[in-house]
This record gives sequence, structure tokens and C-alpha cells, in this order.
Amino acid sequence: MNLLVWTLGVPLVTAAIGALGGPRKFHEAALIGGLALTFGLCMATADQFLGGHVPAAFADALRVDGLSALVLVLCGFVGLLSATYGTGYLRRNEARQLVTPRMRLEFHFLIPAFVFAMLLVAVSNNLGILWIAVELTTLASVFLITFHDRDTSLEAGWKFLMLGSLGLGFALLGTVLLFAAGQRHLGEGMTALNWTRFMQVAPELHPFTLRLGVVFALIGYGTKAGLAPMHTWKPDAYREAPSPAGVLMAVGMLNGALYCILRIHLISKASLGPEFSGDLLLKLGLLSVLIAVPFILIQWNLKRLLAYSSIEHVGIMAVGIGIGGEAGVLGALLHMTYHSLAKPVAFFSAGTLAQLHSSSDFKRMQGGTFNRAPVASALFVIAALMITGSPPFGLFFSEMTILRAGFLGSHATATSIFLAALVVLFCGFAFQVGRLVLGPPRHQADRRVPVPERFDLGMGAAILAAILAIVSAFYLPGPLVALIRAATQVVWGGA
Amino acid sequence: MTTSDVLILCAAGMLVSAYLMVGQNALFTTIRLYGLQALLLGIGSAVIAVSAARYELFVTAAVTVALKAVLIPWFLMRVIDRIGIHREIEPFLNVPASLLVCLGLTVVGYRVSTGFAESSQGVSHHLVGVALSMLLIGLFLMVTRKRAITQILALLTVENAVFLVAVGVTSGMPLVVELGIAFDVILAVLMLGILVRRIVDRFESMDISRLSKLKG
Repeated sequence: MNLLVWTLGVPLVTAAIGALGGPRKFHEAALIGGLALTFGLCMATADQFLGGHVPAAFADALRVDGLSALVLVLCGFVGLLSATYGTGYLRRNEARQLVTPRMRLEFHFLIPAFVFAMLLVAVSNNLGILWIAVELTTLASVFLITFHDRDTSLEAGWKFLMLGSLGLGFALLGTVLLFAAGQRHLGEGMTALNWTRFMQVAPELHPFTLRLGVVFALIGYGTKAGLAPMHTWKPDAYREAPSPAGVLMAVGMLNGALYCILRIHLISKASLGPEFSGDLLLKLGLLSVLIAVPFILIQWNLKRLLAYSSIEHVGIMAVGIGIGGEAGVLGALLHMTYHSLAKPVAFFSAGTLAQLHSSSDFKRMQGGTFNRAPVASALFVIAALMITGSPPFGLFFSEMTILRAGFLGSHATATSIFLAALVVLFCGFAFQVGRLVLGPPRHQADRRVPVPERFDLGMGAAILAAILAIVSAFYLPGPLVALIRAATQVVWGGA
Repeated sequence: MTTSDVLILCAAGMLVSAYLMVGQNALFTTIRLYGLQALLLGIGSAVIAVSAARYELFVTAAVTVALKAVLIPWFLMRVIDRIGIHREIEPFLNVPASLLVCLGLTVVGYRVSTGFAESSQGVSHHLVGVALSMLLIGLFLMVTRKRAITQILALLTVENAVFLVAVGVTSGMPLVVELGIAFDVILAVLMLGILVRRIVDRFESMDISRLSKLKG
């Protein structure tokens, strides 16, 4: 059977196994094993693509090109990490009687289901299927956000579902309008909504309907990506979601939404030229980076801090795409790759710290975590260095690539503002991290951490993620580089 | 009556029901109005199925009526019955002012609809005009109302508007996609319903403006 179908089928089966009852050990093995197999299949699919064969299924409704392959591999990777860390996370919470057997079932069902939806997004060539897949990622994440069933998590879940559904309503309208713009040329049946069909008939699309459709679709998928001003669900959702789910949202959902944005941008570019959607993305991206600045400076919660960092990063990627040119696109896709490697470290270490202190509010965690939980704190410092774009880590190079493309191109003013915001963001983040990790604890009596740090599966996953992220700064495996190049070719070359 | 008359009548009915939703405080009536709106959308799809000889649109029409005109209203009424809250609280903007704003939104919707290629044909123009107006009215409802159920209905109105555009300008999306979307919408409404019940259990209120702990 088709490799692509297997890649999507395995996480689905894993989810089904997770929903059934069973002994705990078996459940954990099934989750990690299933997602490890999924990651392997993702790599095999990407390898098939690099070998010159285009994996496709169901009349090209699912089709893998360079961009899909890159997103597919990154999502598979994050899925596996999240499952491994998540198992450790659940064990820790179970030891403290915070997790009921029913919650465990929920977790073992929702995580692979989420991974399935992410992978479906990455390989969808049909704009309708793409929309359905994005909606599935939303639905899979709602009950992960309300997982701990606090007052605030209900609030976050409600806001996320309402805003997400509204955004997707816009995206659906955008899809309908795109379809309307070219209906006479697209033909009949399922293939009419195929992205590849759109690219073939791009010059024939009706300009007014297309413009309207592109705006609606970009706003809609931009909501999912967390571009300002549609970002307001993000801090709430990240704070409430358990860290393994948070990382799926911060990397998988973000990459998936960005993938949708790129597909729409490419249709618009092929038909209307690069300025129309490019400028819109540049503005939204710049606004996202700017909006993150004050909120990072005054932040009172560790996970919300990560959410604003994620808003910043999606903004950076949008700026890269908006600046365009081969360099801008390459920068954005490199940024996506390095971000996918660095963000899990941040989430896992922050999640561990929050778990040890039973809260992610700075007020309750207090300063000086380094004395109480040295390993998690050290990992968090490394992660903070990475996600603020410090050399020698990867995000520094991708940000430099984007900045270079911006100053060499015609967007010098925007790039200057962008650079200034990045500098302030770095300082703000450094201030917050320093206060948390090194600052003195407020009360002498609180020297002890509520739960001492122990080496377990969750910690192992965090350390592994950190090692991979650090190594990636100096060495990217050849096939991954080839994938980034192929993806750049798709976005820039319009192939 | 020609088919285009029927279509315009359906669209007009949908717009009127959206207006009535704005002017309505009783939740049961609002849900029924939404059901009526979905029914009219289903009839509209069926009419196009006949007139354009696109028989797969019959499936769309049947799914629309079964899910959106029957199942979703029934489910939402059951949720309301369980929690025993039947009226909207005073919205952020009173009813006469709301209706005036919606009038303005309708003008905007019609103005935008003139840009479409299909707007030379009278029927499509009206359908798109109505759909865009409904979209804006739905957004307006979502911003000004406090009850969770009303917000869900506002979201569903937006979604109806999107489908009206689909029927009006494209005479239907591919069937598989349409079914997938319907499935997702149902799932979303179910989850919203579950969340509403959990919120009411916790806060003893369906007032969304109380959900304001998370800031900054």
C-alpha cells in the first residue's frame, strides 16, 4: 500500500489504541512506539520525495512536494518528542494524584490524533481537505487545553475554540472565494480544489474575487498561526495546555498554519504578483513582532512568556516570506526548521520547572530556580539563548538571513523596525530568564523546591531535545538541508 | 415563480432571520430562527440542484437540513434545558441601536458584492450581498452578546453565510469536501456544547464576559 497512507494511518491507529483501556505500560509503549514509527514513516516519505518520486494518493488530494516534506518531517519529529516527554509528564502528575485514568485515556487519544491532523495538513494538496485538517487540529487541541479542568483552562479553551472556529470560518470563506475565482477553469469534481490545479490556471483567476479570497484565507489561517492581531488566544492556550500539548501547538500547529499561509500566498503570487499577499504578510509579521515586545517585558507567567515568543517567531517567519526573494524565503524556512528544534527544549524545561513548582506563575515559582532544579534551569537557559536568536545557535543565522534579504531588498524601513524589535525582545527575554533562574528567592523559607528534581523519562526527552538542538547549530543532516532547499524551490521557484 | 425568485426569497428569508436574531432575547426563539435560516439554505441548495442540474447538490441540501436545521438546534435546546437559562442578558448594545448598526452592515455587504464577476447576473449578486451582510451581522452578534449559546449561534450564522456564498457563486463545492466540512462543524458544535456545560457547572453562569481572568 501507499507509503503516504501508512504515514497517516499509523498515528490514527495509535489514537484508537490510546482510546481503548489497557494496562499503563502497554499504553505508554503504544503511544511512543506508534509515534516513533510515524516519524520513521515521515522520513521515509521525505526520502521517497528526495529520490525523485512524488508521493501522492487519492487523485492527488494528498501530494508531497518539497514544502510538504519539510513540514511533514518537522511535525513527525515534534510528535515523537512530545509523546516521549508527555509520558514522563503524566507519570509525574500521576505520582501526585493529579491525573485520573480517564484523563490518561484522553491524553493517549488526543496526542496522536493531533499528530495525525498535523500530518494531514502537511500533505494536503486539496484546499478543502487542507481546511478540514486544520479544523481537526483545532478540535484535537481544545480538550488538551482544558485538560487540567481549572477555571482558567475552561476560559482558555472557550476562547480558543471560538476564535479558532471564527478564524476557520474566514479561511473557509477564503477557500470558497478562491474556488469561485477560478471555477470556470478549475473543472469539476474533487481535483478542482487541488492546489496544483490552482497554480496551473493562476493567470486566469478573477482578480477581485481572488483578492477577497486571499485576504480572508490569510486572516483565517493567520489566526491559527497566531499572527497579530489575531493572536489573543495564544497566551491563554499555552498557559493552560500541558507542556507536551503546548509544544505540539507551538511547533506543529504553527508550522501547519504557516504551510497553509504559504500555499495561499503562492496562488496569490502566481496570479497577482508577489506584492499583494507579500505586503500583507510583512505587515502582519511586523505587527506580531512589535506586539510581543511589551508583553514579554511585563510578563508574569512562564508559559505565557513562551507564547509571546511563539508570536514573535511566527511574525519573523511571516516577515521573511513577506520580504521575499530567495534569501527571504530561505531565511523563513530555515527559521521554521530551527524553531521546531529549539522550541521543544524551551517547553520541556519550562514545563518541568512549572511542574516542580506546581505553577507557572513567576509569583509562585519565585526566583533562583537554579539552586533548586539545576538541570531544568540550565536547559531553560540554553533554550532561551536559542529562541532569542543568540549566536552560535541556528535561529541567529536564519534571522540574519532574513535581515540581510530585507536590507538588500526594497524594505529597508520595515527591516530596521524589525531589527530594533528583535534587539529589545532579546533584552526583555534575558531579563525575565535571569530573574527566574538566577534571581534571589523572595522568602528564605522557599529555598526548597516543592518537588525535587529527578532524572526520569521527561527529563531524558528534554535533554535529548537540547542535544539535538545544539548539534543542529553546527551540523544539519544532508537530507534535511536538501528538504529545506526543495521547500525554498517550491516557495520561491513556484514549482 | 421562477427558480431565481425562489432563490432570492430564500436569501431574503435568511437575512430577515439574522435580523430577528439580533432583536431577540429569548434563547429558544433565537435557536429556532437559526434552524429556519439553515432550512432556507437547504431549500436554496435544492433549488439550484434542480435548476443547474447538479444533482450532488441534493446531498448537500439534505445534509444541511438534517444537521443544521434539525440536529444542531435540537442539541442546543437540550443544552439550554439542562442548564435552565432561557434568556439573553442585556447585550452590550441595546436592540434598536444594534438593528441600526446591522442596517449599515447590510449596505457594506451589498457594496462589496458588486465587485464579483458574477454580480452581473442578478441572482448571484443578491445571494452574495445577503451572505456578506449575514457574515458581518454574525460577527457583530458575536462581539456584542454575552451568553455562550448566543455566541455559538453567531458563529453558526457566519458559517451559514459562508455556505450561502458557496451556493451563490460556485453552485457548490466538491461533495467530499462539503461532507468533511459538515462533519467538522458538527464536531465543533458538540465540543462547544460540552464546554458550555462545563462552564455553567463551574461558574454557575453562561455569561462569557465573566471569563476574564486571563490577561497580559
